[in-house]
Amino acid sequence: MKKIRPTSTLYYYDGPQVVEARDAIGGHYVAVMVAPVGEQDRYVVAGVEPQRLQQFLAGEIDLRSLMLHRSEDEWFLATTGADDWWLAEPQSSPLSSFSQLPEEGFLLHDAPPSSEALREARARNNLVMEVAAEARESAGEHRIRVGTLAELLTHLQVVVKHAYGAALRTLPVDSRRMIDRSEAHLLDVVVPAAPGSFRIVLEAATRPDLLGQSELRRALERMDELFLSASDPQQTLAMVKAHRGHLAGAYQRLLRFLVDSKVGLRYAWAEPSFAEPRARAISEADAGSLVDALSGVSNLGAEPVELVGALKAANVNSGTWRLATEGGERAGKLKPGGPSLAGLKLEGTYRFTCLEEIEETHGGTREQQTLYLMEHEPA
Amino acid sequence: MNYREPLPDGCPPPESDEVAGPLVVFRLVRSSPPSLDDFRSQRAERPSAAFRGVSECVARGLSVYKRVTDCDKTRKLPQFQGRFICQVYLEAGAGRIQQTGRPTHYTWWPLAAFEILGHCEAVAP
Repeated sequence: MKKIRPTSTLYYYDGPQVVEARDAIGGHYVAVMVAPVGEQDRYVVAGVEPQRLQQFLAGEIDLRSLMLHRSEDEWFLATTGADDWWLAEPQSSPLSSFSQLPEEGFLLHDAPPSSEALREARARNNLVMEVAAEARESAGEHRIRVGTLAELLTHLQVVVKHAYGAALRTLPVDSRRMIDRSEAHLLDVVVPAAPGSFRIVLEAATRPDLLGQSELRRALERMDELFLSASDPQQTLAMVKAHRGHLAGAYQRLLRFLVDSKVGLRYAWAEPSFAEPRARAISEADAGSLVDALSGVSNLGAEPVELVGALKAANVNSGTWRLATEGGERAGKLKPGGPSLAGLKLEGTYRFTCLEEIEETHGGTREQQTLYLMEHEPA
Repeated sequence: MNYREPLPDGCPPPESDEVAGPLVVFRLVRSSPPSLDDFRSQRAERPSAAFRGVSECVARGLSVYKRVTDCDKTRKLPQFQGRFICQVYLEAGAGRIQQTGRPTHYTWWPLAAFEILGHCEAVAP
């Protein structure tokens, strides 16, 4: 008996029909649903060579040939269990004689990948983002300054983080509660220096769900909106104003970085099921025009935050305060010209309307958030 | 709203769309003409099964496609070999629908009052 663990659903229809799985030592398997046994799903399972699996994931070979044309004959029938591992029972007859195999011609995708980003997304069965940094030192040869690359990736990750936060805030509270979002905004570098211009490939740090959907998609769709009209400052200004808050602030900092470092940026991202990647680009010159246009708008990066909780500390002289909310204790300051803390009672329950501002620290690679109280009332 | 099958709280998800006008979807069915058994969810088929990685809400919905070619492709899989394709004409009152997984795959939560079989038509093999 072998134990295998499903790692991703490759095809779903009234249940996970085609599944990728691994054994305890990292061997690759493909599992295809057959007739269930009672209440349990049942799969025909074959160990497959990683390269052939990649070809199947890219849509280049069909499922039947992936399963039948292998260097070994062993195959299994597995039933789903109560835990993450499936028990796979070895079968003695040849797999080709099994009556419940996929027919010829089942390709995972309708067309071969049209771009490198899409090829990577399919091969990794995950959302992939390809970033090309157009730094001056990259023009003649495949090189980039360490600081430029490090800062670019940091700024990009911060934009994605706030784009994800902004996208989540548009969801109903019930939907938000159901999403495991602890690391959903994170990107991992998986190809740090691909051939071509200075190209980096990143992958969602969190695997897609069993329907193949990545949480990170919400963030990148939001980010795309900001880069949609990069050569038109007025349109972009309107779009950034619509995203006023931390996302706008992070976008502004990324643009300033591009200008200061004299770097243009191109990116493309794709999920495995896309027909085409979604691509955006901004030149150093366009980034400069946008920085100028955005500099005339005040408080673009400040995010309104409402807090309700018991007042734990209030210093009328220094203007600092601390409030115990459901989500934990939050501390902040008064904005010059803002309301006074005089008259508030410790342990009283208040609603604080604040503006949260982010300041860059450590050369722009860290963020420090400060809450400024704008209004307060008993709650 | 009264759905055809009991659904958990928050299901269908708020981000699903209410079917407001004519919409054609395709579903694989065991018989032609189809029967209501062809429109039972995974949960209704197997009440005590554990569907790992699939939310209870999706397990209580029906898989449908917006392209008939996706049904043709799915028929190559062991579970669906020999099945028929049914074209379902959805309209206001059909329930809610949401794109889940691949771009052309949708989960449909039919309303109890929607007369499914009267809106079905077999697609020529």
